[in-house]
Amino acid sequence: MSQLPKPDPQALRAKYPDVFERPASARLATPLMLLAAFAVLAFGLFDLGFSPSRLVSGLRELGWITLMMIPPDPGSSLPTYLSALGETLSIALLGTTLAACMALPVSLLAARNIIPSAIFRFPVRRFLDSIRGVDTLIWALVWINVVGLGPFAGVLAIAVSDFGAFGKLFSEAIEAADKKQVEGIRASGGSTLHEIRFGLLPQVLPVIAGQVLYYIESNTRSATIIGIVGAGGIGLQLAEQIRVLEWQKVSFLILMILIAVAVIDWISTKLRFAIIGQRAVA
Amino acid sequence: MLVVEGLTCRFGTKAAVDNASFSVQPGSFVGVIGRSGAGKSTLLRMVNRLADPTEGRILFEGVDVTALRGKALRQWRARSAMIFQQFNLVGRLDVLTNVLMGRLAEIPSWRSLTQLWPEQDRALAMSALEQFDMAQFAAQRADQLSGGQQQRVAIARALVQEPDIILADEPIASLDPRNTKIVMDALLRINKHFGITVLCNLHSLDLARSYCDRLIGMAAGRVVFDGQPSMLTDHIARELYDLEANDVIGGAPMPAPDAATAPALGTAAAA
Amino acid sequence: MATGVSILPAQQLAALNDAYRKAVARKRLKTMMAGAVFFGALVVAGIGAEVNLRTLFTYFGNFVSYFDRILTLDSGQRVWTDVGEWFWGWQKWLKLLAETILISYVGTLIGAVFAFALNFFTAQNTSPGPWLRFIVRRLLEFARTVPGIVFALVFVIAFGLGPMAGVLAIAVHSTGALGKLFSEIVENADMKPVEGIRSTGASWLSCMRFAVLPQVSAGYASYALLRFEINVREASVMGFVGAGGIGQELVVAIRKFYYSDVSAILVTIIVTVFVIDITTGWLRAKLFGKEARA
Ligand SMILES: Nc1ncnc2c1ncn2[C@@H]1O[C@H](COP(=O)(O)OP(=O)(O)OP(=O)(O)O)[C@@H](O)[C@H]1O
Ligand SMILES: [Mg+2]
Repeated sequence: MSQLPKPDPQALRAKYPDVFERPASARLATPLMLLAAFAVLAFGLFDLGFSPSRLVSGLRELGWITLMMIPPDPGSSLPTYLSALGETLSIALLGTTLAACMALPVSLLAARNIIPSAIFRFPVRRFLDSIRGVDTLIWALVWINVVGLGPFAGVLAIAVSDFGAFGKLFSEAIEAADKKQVEGIRASGGSTLHEIRFGLLPQVLPVIAGQVLYYIESNTRSATIIGIVGAGGIGLQLAEQIRVLEWQKVSFLILMILIAVAVIDWISTKLRFAIIGQRAVA
Repeated sequence: MLVVEGLTCRFGTKAAVDNASFSVQPGSFVGVIGRSGAGKSTLLRMVNRLADPTEGRILFEGVDVTALRGKALRQWRARSAMIFQQFNLVGRLDVLTNVLMGRLAEIPSWRSLTQLWPEQDRALAMSALEQFDMAQFAAQRADQLSGGQQQRVAIARALVQEPDIILADEPIASLDPRNTKIVMDALLRINKHFGITVLCNLHSLDLARSYCDRLIGMAAGRVVFDGQPSMLTDHIARELYDLEANDVIGGAPMPAPDAATAPALGTAAAA
Repeated sequence: MATGVSILPAQQLAALNDAYRKAVARKRLKTMMAGAVFFGALVVAGIGAEVNLRTLFTYFGNFVSYFDRILTLDSGQRVWTDVGEWFWGWQKWLKLLAETILISYVGTLIGAVFAFALNFFTAQNTSPGPWLRFIVRRLLEFARTVPGIVFALVFVIAFGLGPMAGVLAIAVHSTGALGKLFSEIVENADMKPVEGIRSTGASWLSCMRFAVLPQVSAGYASYALLRFEINVREASVMGFVGAGGIGQELVVAIRKFYYSDVSAILVTIIVTVFVIDITTGWLRAKLFGKEARA
C-alpha cells in the first residue's frame, strides 16, 4: 500500500496553480484545432461535391475498371510503347542535365558565402522560388506554344522547372561548404575566381552530382506525365488509352512506368553510393 | 622589417586585437603566446589581410600593407604565407595541386584556371614536397593524408609562395608529439637556413621557449609582454594566462621589449 | 624575395613527375570514361527526344516574346499599367483558387489519415506481421510511384468530371508518399518510453497514446504540412484533365492564347504557393521548436 502521506488537494492546488488550473486556452488549444481542421474538411467535402451515392457508384465503377485491367496486355502496340518509354527516359535525362548546367552559375549568385549582400541575393532567390511555384505541366504547355508539340517541349519544361529546384539546392550546398579550404586559397594569394574554382567546386560538385542523380529518378516520373498535355513520351500513350478505355493497355503502360522508375531508382542509388563512397574514404 | 602600429580589430564592440604595436626584424623567429581568445589568430589574420584592421597600420619594408588592394593585395598574401591549425588544404584536390595553389598570385589566371601550370612551377612544387618527404604522395588526395602529412603539404604550399614571412597560426595544435617535432623543426630550418621570418602562434610555452628567439605575449587583445624567452619567468607566464580572468589590465600596452613589462604585469595583477 | 625551396636535380625531378603523371593519368582516364559514357547517353537521349537545336534557336525568340505577350493587355499596354483590366476575372479566379486550395487541403488530410492508419503496419517495430507489412508496403509504393495526375485521369472516368476526382487522386498519392515518411518516423521512435509506460501496467493503446504519439506527432504534422504545400501546386494542374481547380481556366487561357489572362492566373498561383510555402514553413519551425522544448 502507498506509504505516501495523504495529500491535501487544497494545499497542492494553491501551491501549483499552473498544473491544476491551466488556462482554458492551453487546455482547449489542441482539441479546438483538431475540431477546426475537421470542420474545414467537412465543409470541403460538401463544397467539392462529395456525396455517399457518388462515392459508392464511383467505387463500383473503379472496381470494374480494375477488373478490366487484368491481365495487362499491350496488344500489338508494344514497339510503340517501348519507343515512347525511351522517349520519356530521354526527356528526363536531358531535362535534368540541362537544368543542372543552367542552375550551377545562378546558384552561385544565390549563395551567401559568395554574394554576402542580401540585396543582390534576395531577388535571385525569389526568382528561383517563382519558377519552382509553377508546376512542370504548366511549363510544358508554355513550351508547346513555343517549340510545338513533341518531346522537345518536354525536355525544356523539365529543364525550366528543375532549374528552380536545383538553384535552391545547389546554393544550399555551396553555403554548407567548408570555409577553411576556401580561406587556404585566399591566404596564398588566389582571386575570387580561384577561390570558386579550387576552393568551392571540388567540395560542391560531388554533392551536386548526388542531387542531380536523385532528381533523374523523380524526373522520370514527371516525364511520364508531361505527355498528357502533348509534350511527348509515354504519358501521351497513357492519356490516349485512358480516353478510349483500353484498360488492359493502360495497366500495361502503368506497369512499364513502375518498372522503369524502379530501374532508374536502382541505377541512381548505385551511382550515388559510388560518389559518396569515394567521399567516405576520406 | 615588419612594423605593426596601433593595430586594432573590433568585432562589434569587442576588440579582438587592441592597439598592438611591435616590429619584427627580418630573419627572426617570433612566438605569439596568450590564452585562448587573446587575439593571436586575429593578429596573424590581419597581417595576411584575411581580416581587416579597424585601426592602425601594418608596414612591410616601408610599404603600408593595410592599404593594398586587388593584385597587389594578393601578391602580399603570397609574400606573407599563412599556415593554419586545420591545414586549410582543399581535401578533394591532389597534393601537388594543393601545393601549386601557392603559385596562384604569380601565374596568369588563364593558366591556373585551366590547370596548365608552367613547368618550372611544377618543378618548384615537387621539390618543395620532396623537401618534406611528401613527393611520393603527390598524386593522392589531400584528405587521405594524416594530419601531420597534411601540415607538411601546407608548409610546402607556403614555401612555394616564396614568402618573406611565414605566419603560422597554431600549426601544431592538432598534431601528435612526433609530428609536432617534425613541423616545428621544419619551421626552424626554414627560418635559420633561408632566413625567412616566422611569426608563430603557440599554445605550449615549452615549445615557445625552445624554438623562438623572441616572444610576444597577448591578453585580451593587448600586447602585454615582448621580450626574450629567458625573460618569460614562470611568474610572468602564470600572470599572462590568468590575468584575463579579472579582465582588467592596468595602464597602456607595453610595446617596448624591455624589462619594464614585468613590473607592469605585476601591478596589473595586483589591481 | 627569399626562396625556401632548392630545386631538385633534373633526373630526380623527372622521375617524380613521371610517377605523378602516371597516377593522375589513371584517375583521369576513369573520369574521362565516365564522362564519355554520360555524353554518349546524352546524345542518344537527344536523338530519342527529337531535340533539334535549330528549332530551339529559331523559336527561342518565341519564348521571350511569349513572356512579352502575356505581359501585354489587349490594348497593347503593359499589364501593370491597368491592374483592374489585367485581373478582370479576379472574382472567378479567386473562387477557383479557393477550390484548388480546398482540393489540396481535403486530399492531404484524407491522405494523412490513411497514411496514419497504415503506417503502423509498415513500420518494422510496430508491424503485426511480415506478410501484412509486405503487402501494405507494396500498395503504398504503388500509390507513391504512379503520378497523381494519372490517378486523376482514371478517377475522372470512374467518378465523373469535377473536383471530387482531383481530391481522391491527391489523397491516394499523398497516402503513398506520407505512409512511407510516417513509418520512417515510427521506426526512428525511441521504444524505451513504451517499456516505461507498459511497466506501469498500461494497455497497448495507452502505450501508443502516451509513449509513441508524443514522439511522432510533430514529425507527422510537419510532413503533412510539407505535403500540403506540394499538393497545392499539384492541384493547380488537376484542372488540365478536368479534375477541378484553377487548372481548367489556365489550360483554356493558354490554348486559346488569352495572353494577359495566362500571366494573371500564373501570378495568382505563384503568390498563393509563396504564401502557403511561407506559412507552412513557419508552422513547421514552430512545431519543431515545440518538440525541442518538450
Ligand atoms: N569573425 C569573428 N567574429 C566575431 N568575433 C570574433 C571573430 N573572430 C574572432 N573573434 C573574437 O575575437 C577574440 C579573439 O579571437 P582569436 O581567434 O584571435 O583568439 P586566439 O587568441 O587565436 O584564441 P585561440 O587560442 O583559442 O585560437 C575572441 O573573443 C573571438 O571570440
Ligand atoms: Mg586562434
